[in-house]
Amino acid sequence: MITFDEFSRLIVVHGANLAAWPSGLQRAGEDFIAGSEEARALMNDYLELEQQLDLLPVPAFTGLETRILGQPLPPHTVSPLDQLLDWLLPNSGFVSRLWQPVAGACLPLAFGIILGNFYSFGVAFESDEIEYWEDELSMLSLNNYSESDFNEG
Amino acid sequence: MTDEELMLAVGNGDQSAYQVIVKQHLKPVSYYAYRMLGNQKDTEDIAQEAFLKLWVNAGKWQAEKSKLSTWLHRITRNLCIDYLRRHKRIELQSEFQDEVEANQESRENPSDGSEAFQRAKQLELAIKGLPENQRSALILCHYSGFSNKEAAVIMNMSIKALESAIARAKRSLRKALSETSIEHQEIDDI
Repeated sequence: MITFDEFSRLIVVHGANLAAWPSGLQRAGEDFIAGSEEARALMNDYLELEQQLDLLPVPAFTGLETRILGQPLPPHTVSPLDQLLDWLLPNSGFVSRLWQPVAGACLPLAFGIILGNFYSFGVAFESDEIEYWEDELSMLSLNNYSESDFNEG
Repeated sequence: MTDEELMLAVGNGDQSAYQVIVKQHLKPVSYYAYRMLGNQKDTEDIAQEAFLKLWVNAGKWQAEKSKLSTWLHRITRNLCIDYLRRHKRIELQSEFQDEVEANQESRENPSDGSEAFQRAKQLELAIKGLPENQRSALILCHYSGFSNKEAAVIMNMSIKALESAIARAKRSLRKALSETSIEHQEIDDI
């Protein structure tokens, strides 16, 4: 059984015509109206409001269709950004839906690796003494650590 | 042809498919815009712009996400909101002028003071006075025949929020109508 508050909420949300209510609520609404004078009065008020709303006129808009169909239509051109977005977020195909965003996300990483491989961005790894890591390693291997440790000790 | 086939054709630049869509959807779109704006000239501009947007963005419509009518009403609503924001100040001025003119008219033409006329006028004013979201919710559900769920999609809000907007709109209108009835009762008593 529904309450009056619930009934008044349903009547504004679904309209005063009970036939338009969700099927599960129609019977409950009919039963409630049958037993409540207040509910019948409320329903009549909203029925009247809806009838008044239906009476409000709308102009004929003659010539609007011709005007719309006569307006010049721009050619269909897709901007490069839209093309990229369409490719990255495709509407159809499960595989393309999955791999294209992944590929898109990997692109900056691949770009960064390539860029980092070719450009040093002003960071100098070279010095006058040791030009390459290989040279440094070979120099280190020539050090006699055991002798220097004994001398210091 | 289904909406999907028509929109695919429009996306490929087929003007005859575009004509079919305009013929099918012009009436609901223009009626919705008119009830939102209350002005014939601007309604025509908005309807024209809405169909131009449909032509340009046909490729963006996704059949599995929304019906064409829902998508088109969403475009129209956004255009109406932009319009209302732009013309807020002008609208307030012209509303004031309309009210003055209406008062003058009713004094000059007493037959227009009939209860039915006054009630219709009062209702129109009350609808105009509703906040945009309440007006839109009422129009979409009462006039355009959308379900609460579809109207919520058009308005980009939850069904609960939409139902709350409809409830507030109808309560305001009911109050406005009952006030008109009381006024007429008092005049009749005098």
